[in-house]
Amino acid sequence: MGDDQLDGVEALLEEARLTARMPPPAERQRLREAAGLSRAQVANAVGVGRQTIANWESGDTDPQPPGRVKYLRLLEGLAQIHPAPVAATPQAPIETTTPQALVPASDLPQSAFRPDGLVVQGEPEPCIRCGVVTPFKATDGRSLHPGAMCQPAVAALSQRPAEPGAPQAPAAASTTPQTANTPATPAPRTAAPAPAPAAATPSPTPAPVPSRPQRRAKSAARAQTETSGLITRAVHEELERAEGDADAALQALIKRAIPDVMRLFEETRATARYQYTAYPTLPDILHKPSKREPDHIWEARPNFHHPHYSLKATGTIAVTALDANAAYLSAFKSWLPIGKLEHHTGSHGVDPKRSGVHLITPAPWNHPHLPDPLGDRDQPGPLWITDATLRLLLRLSGPKYGLIDPPAIHESWTSGATENFLDALRKVLAAARETAIAEDDSITEEYVKAMYSKFVSTMGESIHNRALQRPDWMHIIHSQAYANLWGKAYKAHQAGLEVIAMMGTDELHVTGDWRRVFSEGRGLAQMKIKHSDAKASGEYTVGKVAR
Amino acid sequence: MAQDSRWRHYGHYGARGLPGWVALAEGIDKMVTGIESPVTSERGLAARLRYLTTSDAGYEAMDRAGIHVRPATLIAWLAEERTPSKPHLARLDAAYWALRRRNVVADLKRRLGNRGRGTRIEIDPADQSWVAPRHRRTVQTRSINVRGSIWDRAVDAWIADDTRELEAIWDEIIQGGLGTDWDAYTFVSSVGWAA
Repeated sequence: MGDDQLDGVEALLEEARLTARMPPPAERQRLREAAGLSRAQVANAVGVGRQTIANWESGDTDPQPPGRVKYLRLLEGLAQIHPAPVAATPQAPIETTTPQALVPASDLPQSAFRPDGLVVQGEPEPCIRCGVVTPFKATDGRSLHPGAMCQPAVAALSQRPAEPGAPQAPAAASTTPQTANTPATPAPRTAAPAPAPAAATPSPTPAPVPSRPQRRAKSAARAQTETSGLITRAVHEELERAEGDADAALQALIKRAIPDVMRLFEETRATARYQYTAYPTLPDILHKPSKREPDHIWEARPNFHHPHYSLKATGTIAVTALDANAAYLSAFKSWLPIGKLEHHTGSHGVDPKRSGVHLITPAPWNHPHLPDPLGDRDQPGPLWITDATLRLLLRLSGPKYGLIDPPAIHESWTSGATENFLDALRKVLAAARETAIAEDDSITEEYVKAMYSKFVSTMGESIHNRALQRPDWMHIIHSQAYANLWGKAYKAHQAGLEVIAMMGTDELHVTGDWRRVFSEGRGLAQMKIKHSDAKASGEYTVGKVAR
Repeated sequence: MAQDSRWRHYGHYGARGLPGWVALAEGIDKMVTGIESPVTSERGLAARLRYLTTSDAGYEAMDRAGIHVRPATLIAWLAEERTPSKPHLARLDAAYWALRRRNVVADLKRRLGNRGRGTRIEIDPADQSWVAPRHRRTVQTRSINVRGSIWDRAVDAWIADDTRELEAIWDEIIQGGLGTDWDAYTFVSSVGWAA
């Protein structure tokens, strides 16, 4: 075995060693910038074109010979001089995406207000929070968007990671909107370009084509950032137009909530699988006889007060009035019929994959402590209920609960259904709501609230929203919210609390230590204490009725 | 045109629906809004009388609806000293809606024309759930854009109750945008749009 052959083996080994240590694309750029080198300098030294280096750094292509070994050796040397800032062990999954680059709103100066209540304006300069040029001034004379309402783009992107199921590495290896956006943004965010990629394991051959679920997750994430951008942009626009007057801006936002939410809905439907019918022929039961009279659907709205307890009776049983957060938004997750409703007699229309409305005769409800899932009904006999209520009744009549006999189903108007229909819209709105709450941004919060509540209330036969005529969806979403509330009452009851009252869309009054059962907060899965002018609100006491 | 088409014996196998032009006219009709209170209520009556007596067109509309009363009677109605008789109430209502429709024509054209962009309509095909499976045809829900000029003609035909013209317009709409399948949409179960 000759020396030259051994040399060849050594060279190969050396190359393999360097390949194994090859940093991910964004890290390559970071190393070069940390050393203060230009792309042209590196290109000269390695013996390739400047654009080639740019492609390697963006991840569009991977380092190829000639120049590959030289480039890798250079990177290795640079990595020793400028080690990665956060984690020494590259395997450790790290959260470099925490937006430490973002200036917290509390650290910023206040907006300067003129005596007439509008924000002081001056020479347009970049905003100290987001960097976009604005004429509005803060108290220290620098430019700032009114009320620091602007959203730095990087924060919005990094706070919303991709779907948990999707692996991060391929997404980081290719050009993401993050790396594409960063060069255009000004100084305060130079720390941003090195976000996730440092976490990626140094695999020598990153998968060239992401798998279908990965592509989906990526396009979903991109769509989500685009659509949530619509929300922040709208808030921004109205605040600018109102010159910082928060009340006026909010009013304008609420006025445009319906067209805006329809636009969001269309955006989230962009690559959707099902073509829904916006103006189906409706059975007579879904037509309102006149504008003021309701149609024939019973939505099972609860109005339950435990008969054994009363505010008037003397006693010291402590009760807490609880409030489910954004109940209608959560109820977007329900089985909605896609096409035109078709008629079936008997129970032929009942199918897990179909949804609509059903004519049933319910069995009597005899539980001593829990509210009737059908709500407070005055007249007995058959009634039209939605699929969401029927699903609840069927579940409660099943072996797991055994609380009621199954209802007799007489006829149905149903269509093929999906549970994911409004899911993308729900996620976008929920994310915007969560961010707004975290940042104490009441304008965006109210705007989002107007969007989802008006979307539900006008999707039927409303003259305020003609883009959609699905009273069936409206009823199903309403009763899904009531069914969700019933589920919460059941959960409280199972944990040993007594349900004192269950009213409206979101109100649940319970005795005992409710914090054991529900987590407290403003998130969609949490509960908060309801304060209002009513006597039975917040924390109050009731007595037991003697009977 | 529709008579020699494949729907020659429409409904023979049990398909149900209504002619497309009827659905079109009903859709335009649904866009007209006005006084919501019924004419039998004090408020609804007062509002209709006010609407009908503020312009010459109002008096003409009453004339066309067959209300020929002395000015004193009209003044007494307006002052709520007297209430119109039942047949007169019905005629007042008819006169009000006829005038209202004429007055919103320009607005309807503007909304439907959408600055030259037209309005997209969704066509739900005839209901075939009662047709035996072997005789069913695959007809899907379709959406097509209808141009402003066609809407102008449709609204004119609608206000003039010109059924022939409406039928011709409907044929033009479906022939223009639906490909070879157009004839399946001569009869529909509903037509909807946002404007």
